[in-house]
Amino acid sequence: MPNRILLSGNEAIAEGALEAGAHFACAYPGTPSTEILETLSRRGGIRSEWAPNEKVAYEAAYGASLGGARALVSMKHVGVNVAADPLFSSSYAGVNGGLVLVSADDPAMHSSQNEQDNRQLARAAKIPVLEPSDSQEAKDFTLRAFGISERFDTPVMLRVTTRICHSMSPVETERDRSWPKAPLRDYERNFHKHVLLPANARPRHAFVERRMEELEEFATGERDLNRIEWGDRTVGVITGGVAYQYVREAMPDASILKLGMPHPLPRDLVREFADGVDEIYVVEELDPFIEMQVRALGIPAIGKELFPLTGELNPDLVELGFRLSGNGLPSRDNQLDIGGTAPSLPMRPPVLCAGCGHRGVFYTLSKLGLIVTGDIGCYTLGALRPLESMDACLCMGASIGMAHGMEVALRAGGDGRRVVGVIGDSTFMHSGITGLINTVYNGGSSTVLVLDNGTTAMTGHQDHPGTGVTASGAPGGRVDITALCRAIGIRRVRDVDPYDLEALESALAEELSADEPSVIICRAACRLVDRTPIAPSVHLEIECPGCGTCFELGCPAIDERDGMAVIDPDVCCGCGLCVQVCPFCGLRIEGYDTAGAV
Amino acid sequence: MTNEGIPTRNVLLAGVGGHGVLALSRIVAEGALAAGFDVRKSEIHGMSQRGGSVVSEVRYGEDVRSPLIPEAAADVFVSLELLEALRHLHRLRPGGLLLVNDQRITPAPTGSGPVDYPEDAVERLREAAQGARILPAHDIAVELGEPRATNMVMLGAFAAFTPEIAATVWTQMIETTFRPTLRAVNLAAFQRGLEIAAEA
Repeated sequence: MPNRILLSGNEAIAEGALEAGAHFACAYPGTPSTEILETLSRRGGIRSEWAPNEKVAYEAAYGASLGGARALVSMKHVGVNVAADPLFSSSYAGVNGGLVLVSADDPAMHSSQNEQDNRQLARAAKIPVLEPSDSQEAKDFTLRAFGISERFDTPVMLRVTTRICHSMSPVETERDRSWPKAPLRDYERNFHKHVLLPANARPRHAFVERRMEELEEFATGERDLNRIEWGDRTVGVITGGVAYQYVREAMPDASILKLGMPHPLPRDLVREFADGVDEIYVVEELDPFIEMQVRALGIPAIGKELFPLTGELNPDLVELGFRLSGNGLPSRDNQLDIGGTAPSLPMRPPVLCAGCGHRGVFYTLSKLGLIVTGDIGCYTLGALRPLESMDACLCMGASIGMAHGMEVALRAGGDGRRVVGVIGDSTFMHSGITGLINTVYNGGSSTVLVLDNGTTAMTGHQDHPGTGVTASGAPGGRVDITALCRAIGIRRVRDVDPYDLEALESALAEELSADEPSVIICRAACRLVDRTPIAPSVHLEIECPGCGTCFELGCPAIDERDGMAVIDPDVCCGCGLCVQVCPFCGLRIEGYDTAGAV
Repeated sequence: MTNEGIPTRNVLLAGVGGHGVLALSRIVAEGALAAGFDVRKSEIHGMSQRGGSVVSEVRYGEDVRSPLIPEAAADVFVSLELLEALRHLHRLRPGGLLLVNDQRITPAPTGSGPVDYPEDAVERLREAAQGARILPAHDIAVELGEPRATNMVMLGAFAAFTPEIAATVWTQMIETTFRPTLRAVNLAAFQRGLEIAAEA
């Protein structure tokens, strides 16, 4: 008897991988993809691993596939850039066990630095794409993706977006939800297929082109993936992903071609649909991926003229687009009267937590007026007011390479300002280490601060090689950041307590004056992981004179009332930074001397 | 099918990261599913634990498609904080029900303009949303000895206005969601929420 349960898209993908009997799953955490591997490691019964980065994750999954296992690898959209090298080549080499790459795209950039459309990457890599439009399809399509991968000897991209990953909807599944493993396929050496020497790769490219043709033919016939829902024949809409749901609400009577497999495009099916309706609209998030291909068939499709190219779609934008086309539902200009032009409200952006070990570092960098290349993580919040101590933030691991290059350029121009790179522990493991090797090798002299909070904090506290705990919670090998830095040739490596502002400042001064690369490691456990108070909460010893110095820390435990500081004892955890910066010594912690350790 | 023909109900939930909005919306969605409805729920959780604004949307009915509630179409808006209620008030439909925990949580100073916390938040909410229920949910939870149960007081208030989902569905949800040591206090919080919503 079927069982209806409420699952997020990510949980449903994990469910699909279990139902497909996958043996191996790996990932590097990244919003909105993280919960796929978390769910698998929690459910058990499948080997689940965090890899140090997406390239390694993809390579490990590919290796498992070659070895005969069904393997799933998941990452956020920009992670696929990191994994692009093995991805593109594995398209030629093909698979053994089914290989599914989940690309979790983030239209609207809720938690990302760009909103690239990874259907484009799949097309460039010449692999098929499945795109579910709710949790049920997320599970079903994951299952289908393994089968397609094995049948057509190709990695398959399951492309999802934030509104699929992090939305919940009912999923029908077996009552006991435990499935047998898929039988392991035999592994046999295949030199011509798996060793991509030029002489082998050339015929493999021809194979890839034939494969895409066969996949297109397949996609046309698979009506559970690509289907026509005939309705009113005056308007035909081609859509997929979550946009399909918005179209169903905005245009309940229209004919719809729903593409669950947008690449390769089933051109015959598109022609059949276009022949059956008066006008063709394409509603898709981000790039006109389907639209351009439909137009290339000589079909005059309307798309990005009406539906935005940037950001994510929603029911209102889709409704508005169709209304502008003259086909939509009448406007519901029925709004609550909230008092004319509502007065502006204070913003509530995310902030570094009270007691966060990163705060003192950014306060000091800001005070010293250094040029700071930043990286991806919670500590990117150090770029925001009031700390405002970051000049650039690009992608995972970039802080260290950028610091080196900027330093070279500034010196060449006779600019004496110094550059420091700031990177978290998980990001350092991901791709910071190669940047640091570059600095050593090329005789750079930049200073790198590793902010080590012992976890991958921003994505919800996943372990990594520096923590020595694996995805399943079991003890694993542990990489020692200090020893690693020394091993690659950094002579100046030191630990500094990030809660000691004086020590931070003097360590920075010393390292910046040295004419060689250096690493300062600031260790403080993430406050969301270790919530035990550092010291009793701060209290005001004297009446606050209202100088405002402590506000420059941007601490959520310090509230401003009429220009004076008010400490919230429930939020304060006694990190003591405000005690150190208060010029009137009006802030006190019991048992805490002025500046320095508790 | 007992829920046939029931139009989609749109429930917007808002609050401050780390204060239980997502746990509350999960229970609302699970409850609607248990009552036999089709359900969609959506939210953004990137930085939800770091004190930012958090919004979650739940839709249930006979056949729900979009996981997002259209603009100004929320039938019920539950906010765990006053400023967040004001911020998202425009999403409530005219005649919709507003349920607000009367707590104020001052945002950390951002330096992005000297905008003060709106002292007249309660008055503005009452003026815009007729019949708004502004409830001391946090005070009740503190009184019960578990400030984190604020969201369950609000669930009780929500349940008072949701006859299509039986109260026993909610109490069962609470029993399966919380570990044994927290069940009693959360059930008590839910019960108090049911009571005060009727009085307010």
